[in-house]
Amino acid sequence: MKKYKFRRFVRTVPMKFYILLAVIVIFSFFSNDFELVDIQKTAIILAAGVDRSENGYVLTAQIAVPKGSERTTGGTSSVEIDGEGETVSDCVAEIYSKTGWVPKFIFCNLIVLGEDTVKERTFGALDFFLRNEYMSDSCLVAVSAGKASELLSSISAIDNTSSLAINQLFSASAEKSGKITKNTLKEFAIGYYGVSKSGYLPFVRMQTQSGSDDQAQSGGQGGGSAQGQSGGGSDQKIYTAEETALFYDGAMVGLLTPEQTYAFNLLNESVVSSEITVQEGGKNHSLAVLRNSGDVSLSLKNNPALKISVTLTVRMSSCCSQAPIGSMAYAEVSPEVEQKAREAIGGYLKGLWENSKSSGCDLFFLTQKLYRSSLGKYAEWKDTLLQALEPEFEVSVKGTK
Amino acid sequence: MTKISSRQLFFFLAAIAPVGKLIYLPTQLAEFSANDLLFPAAVNFFLQAGAVFFILLLSRSNKTLYDLLSYTFGKIAAKIILSVFTLFLFYAAVIPIMEQKFFVHFAFYDTLPTVFAFAPFFLLSVYLCAKPLVHAGRIWDILAPVAMVGFAGIIIFSFGEADFAALAPVGAKGADGFLRGTAFTMGWFYDSAILLLLMGKFDYEKGMAWKGALCYLAGAAAILLFLAVFYGIFSDIAVRQIFAFAKVSKYFVGIPLLGRIDYIFIYAVALVMAFYNILPLHAGVDSLTHAFAKRQTRLFSALCSIAVNAVIFSVTLLLNFSFRGFLKIVTQTAFWVFPLFCLLLPALALLLRRSPREKV
Amino acid sequence: MKNITGNLKADVAALKKMLPSEDVLTFEFVSPDGINFTCVFADPITDKELLGEQIVRPLLGYGGNATAEEIKKHVTSPELKTEKSLEKLSEEVLIGNPVLLWEGADEAIIAGTKKVFVRAIAEPPTDVAIKGPREGFIEDIKINTSLVRRRFKTGNLKIEMLRVGRQSQTFVAMCYLEGTTRADIVKEVKEKLERIDIDVIPDSSYLTHFLSSRPFSLMKQVGTTEKPDIFCAKIAEGRVGLIVDGSPIALTVPYLLVEDFQSSEDYFVPPYRATFTRLLRLFALLVAIYAPAFYVAAQLYKVQLFPVKLLLTISGSIRDLPFSPSLEMLLVLLVLEILNEASIRMPKYVGMALSVVGALVLGETAVSAGFVSTPAIIIIAFSGIGLYAVPNLIEQSSIIRLAMLLVAGSVGPYGILLLTAFLVYYLVTTDCFGTPLLAPFAPVSGRDLRDSLVKYNLGSLDTRPQTLKSKNKRRLSHD
Repeated sequence: MKKYKFRRFVRTVPMKFYILLAVIVIFSFFSNDFELVDIQKTAIILAAGVDRSENGYVLTAQIAVPKGSERTTGGTSSVEIDGEGETVSDCVAEIYSKTGWVPKFIFCNLIVLGEDTVKERTFGALDFFLRNEYMSDSCLVAVSAGKASELLSSISAIDNTSSLAINQLFSASAEKSGKITKNTLKEFAIGYYGVSKSGYLPFVRMQTQSGSDDQAQSGGQGGGSAQGQSGGGSDQKIYTAEETALFYDGAMVGLLTPEQTYAFNLLNESVVSSEITVQEGGKNHSLAVLRNSGDVSLSLKNNPALKISVTLTVRMSSCCSQAPIGSMAYAEVSPEVEQKAREAIGGYLKGLWENSKSSGCDLFFLTQKLYRSSLGKYAEWKDTLLQALEPEFEVSVKGTK
Repeated sequence: MTKISSRQLFFFLAAIAPVGKLIYLPTQLAEFSANDLLFPAAVNFFLQAGAVFFILLLSRSNKTLYDLLSYTFGKIAAKIILSVFTLFLFYAAVIPIMEQKFFVHFAFYDTLPTVFAFAPFFLLSVYLCAKPLVHAGRIWDILAPVAMVGFAGIIIFSFGEADFAALAPVGAKGADGFLRGTAFTMGWFYDSAILLLLMGKFDYEKGMAWKGALCYLAGAAAILLFLAVFYGIFSDIAVRQIFAFAKVSKYFVGIPLLGRIDYIFIYAVALVMAFYNILPLHAGVDSLTHAFAKRQTRLFSALCSIAVNAVIFSVTLLLNFSFRGFLKIVTQTAFWVFPLFCLLLPALALLLRRSPREKV
Repeated sequence: MKNITGNLKADVAALKKMLPSEDVLTFEFVSPDGINFTCVFADPITDKELLGEQIVRPLLGYGGNATAEEIKKHVTSPELKTEKSLEKLSEEVLIGNPVLLWEGADEAIIAGTKKVFVRAIAEPPTDVAIKGPREGFIEDIKINTSLVRRRFKTGNLKIEMLRVGRQSQTFVAMCYLEGTTRADIVKEVKEKLERIDIDVIPDSSYLTHFLSSRPFSLMKQVGTTEKPDIFCAKIAEGRVGLIVDGSPIALTVPYLLVEDFQSSEDYFVPPYRATFTRLLRLFALLVAIYAPAFYVAAQLYKVQLFPVKLLLTISGSIRDLPFSPSLEMLLVLLVLEILNEASIRMPKYVGMALSVVGALVLGETAVSAGFVSTPAIIIIAFSGIGLYAVPNLIEQSSIIRLAMLLVAGSVGPYGILLLTAFLVYYLVTTDCFGTPLLAPFAPVSGRDLRDSLVKYNLGSLDTRPQTLKSKNKRRLSHD
């Protein structure tokens, strides 16, 4: 009898357990607050700016504030909150205490480093972002002229939210123009921790929009941005990133001019739709680049030798002289203009190389290429490679026929 | 549902066994061997494939490990040996379960959840471990395609971002890097030990041994491809990238537009991982039931399952803030335990008697 | 067992004693030769006109021996039986077959003149097809079996009649193809039916409890259909079909989960269309079950699952809501379930008003008042519609959806994954009549995959499902 009762009891245990489990799940469902940080307690940080201060750092977080009052659409505005501390992590904690929202960097798509931050130990500022598992390392990193906080707090002529306007600068379509470079946190970190110890970041400048008392453009970023600016039209800024900051061993060592930046992009084969303007016969000619190939090849036959080559296919897109209609129809490029274009590009490439060499930044990761090709030669040349190399430049510009 | 079929076993070897090597192992290999990480991994895979081959040959007797041990050493000694072996499996399962715990915290939650957020895993484990081990075979039919599709999705999303030149130069870390990479990552290669306990649950078929080894090597090839892609994406910062397989696919060009759709594939692989990490516990409980319970086997396996999972859960709670130290001890200081149980013992098992002694 | 005695008064009295109900009547008449006849019949279920025409009228001119054999030759009813046992005679009266007794009778004669009130054969509401047959089973077992018999003009079709239910004695027709259906399945079904000890079987769904290997399981283990063409197709594959008197829903065993993703129309449209539709059903069901759970889990635990612009839109929508995301979703789900239930029970003439209330008041106004958010309404609406893509799994899916939501709100995305793991494991380990529920996916059966979630053309489906292990494997020959 006892055995029968025990067996019956054992048979009912699973059902009782499932019921208990259901009760626990329902209880936790209704009372769920076990260290839970849901969407309403979160500060969604779209961009972060890091400046150096006396004590350490100042972090400016651009936090998205959804507009929910009309109940029909969402929309975005943003607010900038500063936090100061000895480390970036301290700054984040201060922002948390100021707002009461838990800062979330998951959607942080842009890190702006102030000019003073990158003078030395850049990775001291980026350390927090690299360690944070919830921070996406595919976010863009840029250097701002002056303070990053000023850049992020500025009112853009393109979008209510400055970081969205800056992100627009680095869009895929903008990249094709060849005027800007972009780099992500991951790539920048790989460059620093690799044998080349080098890297580059776009250098963002802020300019006041001329005639900026017009209403702001909607820009397409976030539904609410069409509301325009309230009153202060004269403070609207536009951003440019045509220069590129060069880095070596975690410090900014140089700055590429817009032409050198363009040359760098030509070598990266990322230029698809851009214009080159040259002067020939006292007149300006603009050439549209239709096809671009570039190469930086390091050969190790005896001593390392470098060849930098660019090949462009172009067509005439605009000419200041009153060209005959036939010439306009076929968009031909005269040999003289081609020659001028070659000279111009060649000049940009030389300037790029000289700038890179003099700053010590291994912009083309030649040391890394050497390391991957031959350990022996790497040991021999790793400290003197940049200085020893005299590159051969090869530029080919051909118009369409 | 009497036995695991050969197809199901091959699915396990090819598609499910590899998924346990996707979280911490890539970064460990990168730490010790840097760009030479493929070679230590390949060595360990080949050693395991060899062990799989020999175990499948051993399974021609269609007897369980306990049966073979009892024919050779007698029932009491067999019970002791089996218990020790099972304890090893439970010990080996701790690291993958803890890995999965941290992975869950990373991939499934934005904010740090309570320590008990991973507790439901043990509820599932208790349930599964209380069931007969042959049930696992049928679930592998479902999990194998899920694992393949998930893995393929991750590779497709990440392949374009990889710079395979980062794997050069070969031999940069030298013999020291190679040996350390091989020895200190053996803690992730214990599939042969699981296979030993699966003996008797499937019927041997002709050619099963080499087919099984080939299937295992096919899975190994997929993991080596993943390691190459992983290092090609992260190169010098690869050491930092724990939860490797959840990080490689986010650079796909469509991600900014569509959101993290790669999480579909990551979660698919995580689903398979959950079953894979429970399998050592399941195999252990089933073997202990077979060895120690003559009657009331269901009750015994249920109680054993509860006890084992309660202990492992407690261990994961205790090690919550000292996992790195435990990892170092298990995989580095005491790394020799794994080749002992996963390579040497299966080889020695070939010497076991395949039939009972005749009573005089 | 008491038999008739031949004494008319005593026999009638004995029968009336066994059937004391007031609707059991007697009709007495005399033949020209002076033989006294009495008809005992149940008034509401006996066709009295047929009784009069086929039994009484011929006997009014009868001038022969008072033996059952002779009398049978003179009555015009084609369905005649003889019986001696009073108990069996009383059963026949209760079925609607009148019993003819006479003085000196050695056996009573039972005439098949029962009256059956049936509705017309119509398209079943649960399985509507644009192409293909539109007939559906009704409540009468004879008509239902005739619909089956019409489609199998072969002696291999066996229809065994069983009676189940102590009080109801409900007829259950067990249909199978001899030589195709496995004998052990037939035997097991029969044994299970014979073991049933219950008062009444009002509907075929009562039998599913007894046929299932896990009676308390959430998942079905017995297939159902209201269409004779589907019923016959399943029997032709090697299943056993059960038709229950009084129920329009026929049962088939063994059952595979994949059956509910197939519809009869899949076999009448091109295979690529059928494949697309089946995959669409699966997708709709998965979205219906998982969308509310993932929406809640993402808001509470893993906002990264949303693209940032969508996240900001959602965040703006839920900004001033009084409820947490999980509670909000649960409330909307409950309202949907209530609306579902009410719309079935509501009389037709107030159905329109209910639609307006549901859509405008509960949807639009609730959002405007700030009780719920627009994304939640959209997700639940889509989920509600998606669930009906697979109508046979509605009951199970709605419970699973609720469980997913509760787990998502309490444990988060990992809870959804673990619950999915549990469900998958549960499904793969469920067998019925020796056949795995998730076949042909687990265990994998290559040939059977040709007619699972994808559908190959008819020429490729030349063998019966291997999962059912029929001895007669081939069903289509190629030239």
